[in-house]
Amino acid sequence: MAVAARSKRLESVGGERLREALVGYAFVLIPMAIFGMFFLYPMVYAFYVSAHDWGGLEGKLGYVGLDNFRDVWNDEQFWIWPPEFHSGTALWNTFYYALLVVPLQMALGLTVAVVVNSGIRGRGFFRSAFYFPALTSSAAITAIAIYLLNANGLLNAGISKIVGRDFTHPWFGDSSTALESIVALNAWTTSGTMMLFYLAALQSIPTDVYEAAAIDGAGIWRTFWKVTFPLLKPAHFFVAVVSIIGALKLFDQAWIVSSGSGGPAGSTMTAVLYLYRVTISEFNYGYGAAIGVVLFLIIFTLTLIQRLLFGKAEIGY
Amino acid sequence: MATRDREEAAPPYVAAVEELAAGEPVAVGAPATLDIPGRARTDRIGKVVAYAILLALALLYFVPFFWTVMTSLKTEAEALQGFKLFPENPSLHAYREVLTRDDLPFPIFFRNSLFLAGTITVVEVIFCSLGGYAFARLRFPGREVLFMLVLATLMIPDQLRLVPVYLLLTDFPLTSWNLTQTFRGYILINVVTAANLFLMRQYFLTIPKDYEEAARLDGAGYFKTYWRVMLPLATPALAAVAILSFQGIWNDFFWALIILGFGDSQKLTVQLGLAQFVTQYGGNWPAMMAAATMAILPVVIVYVFFQRYFVAGITAAGVKG
Repeated sequence: MAVAARSKRLESVGGERLREALVGYAFVLIPMAIFGMFFLYPMVYAFYVSAHDWGGLEGKLGYVGLDNFRDVWNDEQFWIWPPEFHSGTALWNTFYYALLVVPLQMALGLTVAVVVNSGIRGRGFFRSAFYFPALTSSAAITAIAIYLLNANGLLNAGISKIVGRDFTHPWFGDSSTALESIVALNAWTTSGTMMLFYLAALQSIPTDVYEAAAIDGAGIWRTFWKVTFPLLKPAHFFVAVVSIIGALKLFDQAWIVSSGSGGPAGSTMTAVLYLYRVTISEFNYGYGAAIGVVLFLIIFTLTLIQRLLFGKAEIGY
Repeated sequence: MATRDREEAAPPYVAAVEELAAGEPVAVGAPATLDIPGRARTDRIGKVVAYAILLALALLYFVPFFWTVMTSLKTEAEALQGFKLFPENPSLHAYREVLTRDDLPFPIFFRNSLFLAGTITVVEVIFCSLGGYAFARLRFPGREVLFMLVLATLMIPDQLRLVPVYLLLTDFPLTSWNLTQTFRGYILINVVTAANLFLMRQYFLTIPKDYEEAARLDGAGYFKTYWRVMLPLATPALAAVAILSFQGIWNDFFWALIILGFGDSQKLTVQLGLAQFVTQYGGNWPAMMAAATMAILPVVIVYVFFQRYFVAGITAAGVKG
């Protein structure tokens, strides 16, 4: 009898397990279907398309192996060797942009984070103020930048006042300053997000190290460079990788300042804008997929570095 | 020392989820004020320097927006006069001009953007909380593998997905629908994001198990436990997901451009309309700034009311967009 009761209980435990599992599957079903259909399957499909000659009207034309990748390799609009900035090539434009914008937005983000965290009054207000540009849409903020940086805009009016003569440089209209102007714009907008990362990291620095520094008589400047800055090392890594990946994806601002052309003289042609033009404007899907794969491999390598450095905490085990 | 090493190595988003759960910054680290001889002077100098930097920075972050709003109230002629800060006769004519165009019908763009952002936000909150709860609490075979797949999608950049997703939507499997230039297609590909599902799961993990065990003892089923007990407890995370989702879709340019494009002027979002406005009427500064101001406004309103969730959500979910 004891045995019968036990097996019955086991059965109900088993039934409960099954019910829980079924409910679990039901809860994750739709999200997993979406992820499968629009993330995981496309990833495989991208490699498949990249190995084919695939046009917009004709559809799939035939297997071409690595031909598309060889074309990317030889594409002088995509990249040239040796590397040359301001050459109007998509990949070097993108790297040049990343090289300039990453240190700038990190420095700006860290500066505002440290200032906001320094025990000033109105901490919440300033944090919101510095985050404000990061809230705004890329289209709106780019429209504002186009206005401020036009030949007769606020920036040039300011410079004219300082130098004492009419200064009317068209920042976005000149190929030698167009991409640099996007650098300035995005360093400014993205610094708010970088600030949030740095603030979270600053808050996890224990107070006693500051106390020790104060007792040792270190001033604020010294405390920052000798204590705060080194202790933020994990945050520096994290922020750097996030901003490099973000920089390599530059698209919206480049599209809007050039109406999608990448001009003037190819100066705002970024890798993703080039991918967009090949795919959406020229309907060259096979070639577009190959460019997508190349960009993925570059970004993936960086993401892997990030995950190797931070992976355990991210997954939360 | 060992403990400190671990604290130092904690990446920002760990603190962010804790902050969301605790309801306030987990402030360990604001520099302490101590009674140390000589400390007061350093403090004073520090304060002065901090406020000076702060003022300069606040100007840098604030002036462009102030200038934008002022210009939107000016006449076209006034907008060209360098430093002229305030308009002679502030008027809303530029706003009227933007809202009454026939070639770029902004009222329709607003309706479209609100519809898309609203729909996606509601659906995403439901699916991400259901999925997040299941991954955090329910036991089912293959859960870890499925969750690894969710995290794996974070590694797949939009750039790789562009061609395949576009092809998938032009000829949707089984139905042969062409979902490009449709809201259905746009909603479908944006309706769940791994970052938000991850955020929900992390939040559910911070809720003590006692609550659901009590509910289960009272005989509540799994769905009822989730709906009546867990969801109310997860309000901060739900708010964060809702806000991130709304902001992400409202501000989205990349996928809106690819899926909706410029083919049908009735199907543009506000951001696409603004980009088109910049292309076509580049020199009409008051109208352009009025359009930009209106494009920013909804997210600003959301931000003003739900700031805390915004900040914690962004840090926890990583950079979006």
